[in-house]
Amino acid sequence: MKRNPIPSRQTPVTSLQIGHGLACLTLLLSLCARSIGQTQSEAQSPVPGSAIHVTHVLGFEGVRQNATGDLKIQGDAVQFQRDGSPTAQVKIGSIQDIFVEDEDKQVGGTAMTLGKAAAPYGGGRVVSLFAHKKYDFLTVEYLDNNGGFHGAIFQLDKGQGQTFKKDLLVNGAHISSPDDRATTQSTPEVKNENK
Amino acid sequence: MKTNRETSLAVTKTTFSLPAFHRPNRQRGALAALVLLLGALQLQLFVSTALAESSTVGKSGGAQPWSVLQVDRVDPGDVGLAPSFGAAIYENLLAELAKTEQFKQLFRSGDRNANDVPSLLILKTTVQKYTPGSETRRAVTTVNGATKLNVRIQLVTRDGHVVLENVVDGNVRFIGGNLRATHNLAHNVAVTLKRSALPEQANLVPEREPKRLADF
Repeated sequence: MKRNPIPSRQTPVTSLQIGHGLACLTLLLSLCARSIGQTQSEAQSPVPGSAIHVTHVLGFEGVRQNATGDLKIQGDAVQFQRDGSPTAQVKIGSIQDIFVEDEDKQVGGTAMTLGKAAAPYGGGRVVSLFAHKKYDFLTVEYLDNNGGFHGAIFQLDKGQGQTFKKDLLVNGAHISSPDDRATTQSTPEVKNENK
Repeated sequence: MKTNRETSLAVTKTTFSLPAFHRPNRQRGALAALVLLLGALQLQLFVSTALAESSTVGKSGGAQPWSVLQVDRVDPGDVGLAPSFGAAIYENLLAELAKTEQFKQLFRSGDRNANDVPSLLILKTTVQKYTPGSETRRAVTTVNGATKLNVRIQLVTRDGHVVLENVVDGNVRFIGGNLRATHNLAHNVAVTLKRSALPEQANLVPEREPKRLADF
């Protein structure tokens, strides 16, 4: 008697689940490896006066938003140099205020966000727990040649903001109120609302 | 054999046959319809132009429209606003207002070129509420960790007359960094200004004089 083997319906689903699980695990492992690498790089303190790698968030004249490049002090000016684009610079004497804040951000950008949204069984949320990193945000308020006010924000690796701020102060940058606003640390967990 | 009369009737029938009667009439009808259509179009164009002209005259009333805006620095109030948020709101306001093209010229706060401009409005922004959020909390919980901003905007003339006042929100609840709230806020401010009808310059002068008299 000829018997046809009954295909098991559980097998494809299980393999799919295993596949998803493996994908999530791989993603998590890669993120962990990346965060470890970042922690090691944080331990290296930047050399004073040298260029630091930053992401321009907004506000620096002549540079597009979210551009990455090197920020350095050259003579009496702060320069932002990006590969293949002209250097944008601001006189240090025109700086009115400098603030450094640290903030927690998710890493991975849009691709990671989409990946987390597509991960099954809430796997994206688990990944989000580990896929974040602390950054320094350097806010530089300065005046242009016409006296117009600008507020430029740069995202730096943690620990580099204070060093760069000290370099700027040594080179003649002004701070309006050094006591209470010199170092502002944002506390995102605390609700600060006045009604 | 046909008689002369029958022949003449046949000729007459041939002359007044229905298709032959309608052919020139159809052409004339089409021509008349075309003329009517063109006339209607011309009338419509004339009416719309006249309406537009009358509305322009009615709105401006001979006064110069507000075409120049100076964006003032953000007043952080007493809500403990992070300095990066103040700078981001200011820069995003400039970017979003430039996108709407509502104003011909935009000046930054303190720009000396704005000193000689006659019809200048100043945008003042005061932060009323600020709830710092957390991107990680948003990503993990979805319902928690929103960054919320609530500001009062005022359009003020050079002599301090408030032309427009409004309250605008800007939040980020799901995807994006905390500073995205400033972008959303600036976008909402630009939309609010675009939608609101600014009073004419000429109308502001008579309102100001009684206040001065009352001061004395």
